[in-house]
Amino acid sequence: MSELFEQFVVEAQELLETAGAALLALERDPADRASVDELFRAFHTLKGASALFDMVPFTRLVHVGEDTLSLLRDGRRAMTPELADRLFRALDQCARWVAALEGTGTLPADAGAVAETLVRGLAGGEASAGAAASAGEVDAFPWVAALTDEERRAAGGGTLTAIDYTPDPECFFTGDDPLALFRRVPDLRLLRIEPTEPLPPPAQMDPYRCVLRFRALSGAAVEAVTTAFRSVPDQVRTGTVTLAAAIAPPAAAAQGSLAAAMLEEQARILDLPGTAAERESRRAAVARAVTAILTALGRPAQRATVAAACGDAGSLRRFLADGPPAETPATAASRSAPAPRRALRVEPERMDALMALVGELSVVKGQLGPLVRRAGDGETARDMKAFAARLDGLVGDLRHAALRLRLLPLARVFDPLPRLVRDTARRLDKTVELVLDGAETEADKDILDVLGEPLLHLVRNALDHGIEAPDRRAAQGKPPGGTLRVHAFQDKGGVVVEVSDDGAGIDPAAMRRAAVVKGLLKPDAAAALSDADAVRLVFAPGFSTAGSVSDLSGRGVGMDAVRAAVERAGGRVELSSTPGSGTRVRLSLPLTLSITRVVVVEAAGSLYGIPVALVGGVQRVPRAEIRAVKRAESVVLRDRVVPLVRLRRLLGQPEDERAREADCIVLAELGDGPVAVAVDDVGERADVVLRPMTGVLRGLRGYAGTAVLGDGRLILVLDLRELL
Amino acid sequence: MPIRYDADLARFEAACTVEDALPLAEWLEGTEAPRVDLSGCTDLHTALLQLLLAVRPAVTAGPEDAFLACWVGPVLGAPATLPPIGP
Repeated sequence: MSELFEQFVVEAQELLETAGAALLALERDPADRASVDELFRAFHTLKGASALFDMVPFTRLVHVGEDTLSLLRDGRRAMTPELADRLFRALDQCARWVAALEGTGTLPADAGAVAETLVRGLAGGEASAGAAASAGEVDAFPWVAALTDEERRAAGGGTLTAIDYTPDPECFFTGDDPLALFRRVPDLRLLRIEPTEPLPPPAQMDPYRCVLRFRALSGAAVEAVTTAFRSVPDQVRTGTVTLAAAIAPPAAAAQGSLAAAMLEEQARILDLPGTAAERESRRAAVARAVTAILTALGRPAQRATVAAACGDAGSLRRFLADGPPAETPATAASRSAPAPRRALRVEPERMDALMALVGELSVVKGQLGPLVRRAGDGETARDMKAFAARLDGLVGDLRHAALRLRLLPLARVFDPLPRLVRDTARRLDKTVELVLDGAETEADKDILDVLGEPLLHLVRNALDHGIEAPDRRAAQGKPPGGTLRVHAFQDKGGVVVEVSDDGAGIDPAAMRRAAVVKGLLKPDAAAALSDADAVRLVFAPGFSTAGSVSDLSGRGVGMDAVRAAVERAGGRVELSSTPGSGTRVRLSLPLTLSITRVVVVEAAGSLYGIPVALVGGVQRVPRAEIRAVKRAESVVLRDRVVPLVRLRRLLGQPEDERAREADCIVLAELGDGPVAVAVDDVGERADVVLRPMTGVLRGLRGYAGTAVLGDGRLILVLDLRELL
Repeated sequence: MPIRYDADLARFEAACTVEDALPLAEWLEGTEAPRVDLSGCTDLHTALLQLLLAVRPAVTAGPEDAFLACWVGPVLGAPATLPPIGP
């Protein structure tokens, strides 16, 4: 796969995402010019990029999409949900194709037929001639797309100059004769004379007021054409357009012109033999030259587009023949918006390698400490100490920076939501407004991967079961449109995502009945459940609240799967619901999977780690406050009686014989209530890379894995849930 | 005089300018079924063209001037390029 092709795949994915977002925005607000423009640009760029490769169905589909958008853009076609559906289908198909291209390098065999179906869908209700006209023209000269077949034949194909001349109504008084100006236009291919407004009856017509406008196509270059209209620059617009009819003359520049010769020479340079480095630098020079020539010809092209076309002579010739995207000054200006920041793509393996190196560096650095202590108190030792301190700081910063590299904004998992909500709401005939909040919150890529599925499920669930149909909502005095809020934020050491809706909520009574009917609970056990616990039954395996299995939620992914996925990643799911006014589900996840923050504790001379996520607090408790009933001990902490366990006992270590005034207690918040864990000593909190137990140790219960502390000491990280 | 008015037929000859606009408008308005002969016209001012477009008189002969024959004749519904059969 060539580098150019790989670049195309990556860019196409980005463009398709951009287009999807713009289309959503446009459907919400059909008057949103910025979104039409963005959508159009995405299609236009996709068309240009795909044309560099042999993927005709792809190019054709995005081309027709572009035409459709141009009609939309100049108001000749209105945005409807149906049209949005079709455009979404086209985008989806393109995404599938890009995925196939990435995998196999070619489009699937049925691509042609699929493209035709989608093209017909898009073209429905649109002038058929529009499909044959291409890009630039539709920007500024919508009429070019609507030429009759006869006019198209007369005009011939290739790159033409379009002229739009609307004379000043008073122009006759200044001696202008608009029609006569066209006698001076070289290579006039088409001249349309039309009234600017319906002509009045002859009796009311002012013979000295110009009511005509002229539209024309010329085979000559823009600058040759504009000379003819030098006297009326403010009333005429010219620009380059491409008619797809005939590919004939390579048309970025008039044939035989100096510019054409120069462009051809650039293409030849690309084919010269040489080392990779030589060719690379030639390509850069050629891209600069071509950009300059095109700019001089009055059609500035984007450097990146030109550079992409300068892969080899063939692609450059194609690019020049198809014509660079023509831009009128107006659209050029609107494009000067700041380019989005490009993300750097790094293979995950390299990231892991970096993390491992940082880990080893920490270990090696840790060995410096004892060495410095051995050096005594001399001047050298002092210098070494200062040096070790600086190294400490730097390694710490490096570690932190390396950790942050893996963090990505939650926008990644939020991105599919608007589309999901739109499609789902449309299918269910509900009106739902999605409010996304906190997309910039960052979390580790692994966490995002964990989060994706459950989040989709929660949103789907809220739409399907939560938010009611508009008439039901209206009957309850609610606004007919529901609101679905997805809110992400950072919480101590973790990331929290809340999905809340203003829908029907969960009825605890219905949950109890359902649990009994499904045989999950005995009637009396169900009756004994508190409302909050009854609502939490949705998380029970095999529970579905839907009266009937809809095509949305009947996919075997239940709320229990959501809970399982989140808990596997060391997170928690909480749910609260008020019947009649809505449901809120809160997912709390650690910031990262690869790094676990632990509290280091000591027991019988060994160090252990307890994940901070579980630790509710650390404190010293005087012996006198520990109540013992036989061997079962308990302590009152924060007005709660908390069972107390001793880590030494849990681990089968000998009891601590030392007489102590107080015990060190770590309060662990487990699913079924807090537990006080007594340890010999509590040390630092540390971010560690948790390594699962391997080999013969894998069978060992009660441990989540091993980890190396910053100073090189090894600790065992406890899995308290299993241990207790 | 570039335009000669013959009862219901106006013959356009040589370069017809904006000066002809008012007389032409009056003639078109005052004539029952106006006909025009553009064969001798070498230059047709836009002001005259829009009057012809508004009234749409029968064109007995299209312009022979290449530019006008190509772009203006068809708009006015002139009988192609064949010479008129004569009144």
